[in-house]
Amino acid sequence: MTTLPFDTLDSSLTLVELIYRLKIKDAMVRNVHTAGRTDSLRTIQKLMKESSVTGIPVKDGKRLIGLVSVDDIMSALDGNYIEDKAEDHMSRNLIVLEDDMPLSFAISYFEKYRYGRFPVLNKDKELVGIISSRDIIVSLLLEINKEVERLERENDSGSQQTESGHMVRRFMVKQLDFEKAGKASTEIKKLLKAKGIDTRLIRRIAVAAYELEMNLVVHTHGGSLSITLEPDHVEIRAQDRGPGIEDVELAQTEGYSTANEWIRSLGFGAGMGLPNVKRVSDQFSIQSKPGEGSLVVCTINLPQEDSHDDKPDD
Amino acid sequence: MTYQHIIESLDCSIFHEGDEFAESEIRDVVTSDLMSDVLLADTEDFILVTSLSSDQVIRTADIVSARGVLLVNGKKPQAGMLKLAKDHGLTLLGTSSRTFPACVALARLLEQC
Repeated sequence: MTTLPFDTLDSSLTLVELIYRLKIKDAMVRNVHTAGRTDSLRTIQKLMKESSVTGIPVKDGKRLIGLVSVDDIMSALDGNYIEDKAEDHMSRNLIVLEDDMPLSFAISYFEKYRYGRFPVLNKDKELVGIISSRDIIVSLLLEINKEVERLERENDSGSQQTESGHMVRRFMVKQLDFEKAGKASTEIKKLLKAKGIDTRLIRRIAVAAYELEMNLVVHTHGGSLSITLEPDHVEIRAQDRGPGIEDVELAQTEGYSTANEWIRSLGFGAGMGLPNVKRVSDQFSIQSKPGEGSLVVCTINLPQEDSHDDKPDD
Repeated sequence: MTYQHIIESLDCSIFHEGDEFAESEIRDVVTSDLMSDVLLADTEDFILVTSLSSDQVIRTADIVSARGVLLVNGKKPQAGMLKLAKDHGLTLLGTSSRTFPACVALARLLEQC
């Protein structure tokens, strides 16, 4: 059986946070159809049909005393006792949930027991709702949708304006995602092309972005690559979540690389990344803390109308 | 030289005809299986000759504005590589020649055409 992704090593933090943050009361149906202890099973069967539900809690005053499910109704029809009172045949050993419990409890209950729904009680043991796996799916989908929209906005924030009226764009880069590796740089290149920047400059900027993007994919736990376009320069910024560089000086030495054979077989890991970024940049800086992460910032000047400060390519 | 010259000389398979396939004038050749080295190349209007058939070859070729890619040693592009070549409008050729004879033939073509 598939292990559900909560509290396991490969759980997404966002998902775990979500199923703990969401309470059962956020997902349950509140408007519960109930029956009294003396109502006949026939009455309950009609109620199920009218309200399209497959389980009716039975109450005595405010207290929940049992539940009649579709299975119970089928048995009653089969055994010819459909006119009997609910209290004579209902399921009494109910497993219930509390409205303040995290949604993760409900999910694990559905995993553990084979019931289609669980009645939900409040602190005073009063019936306040009922929850089915469908309710969980619906509430999770709604919340995940919100969450993903938020992450999408945050990750690929589109073009934002800086104070000086120019543009910033940020791309998220995942660890060892070779399928997408280079995509952000391709986007950056397109963007610069659309801005009408000189093709030789575009190539320098694209090379810097691509080397930094590959570094993020190959050497880090993932991070972000962003471009800021100002009137007189372009800045490329690669920030990662670790593991950090032990010896920053050594990492900038041509030919030094910590890449493994597999990465080399893809045509990378020759120890030319950072030196190459430096080569095409006008300014270059690197900060790193082992165990935390690194930030590489490089700047490429844009020629001004009255000056020619464009650095040659070699 | 043009793609037509290359295709005739090296008996190439055409995996994809890029955007400027017919009119491209190729003036230089960069040969490497190390994409890091390709990123260092400082030249224009060139074709990239490699025996590496991964997606990153096309990404790299696009970044350095290569005109196209020639796979040597009879290498066939991986599915992702071919798709990317199409997406980027890059010409992708293949030949069964080894790297050295392929480069020799290309050098002769550059002299002649």
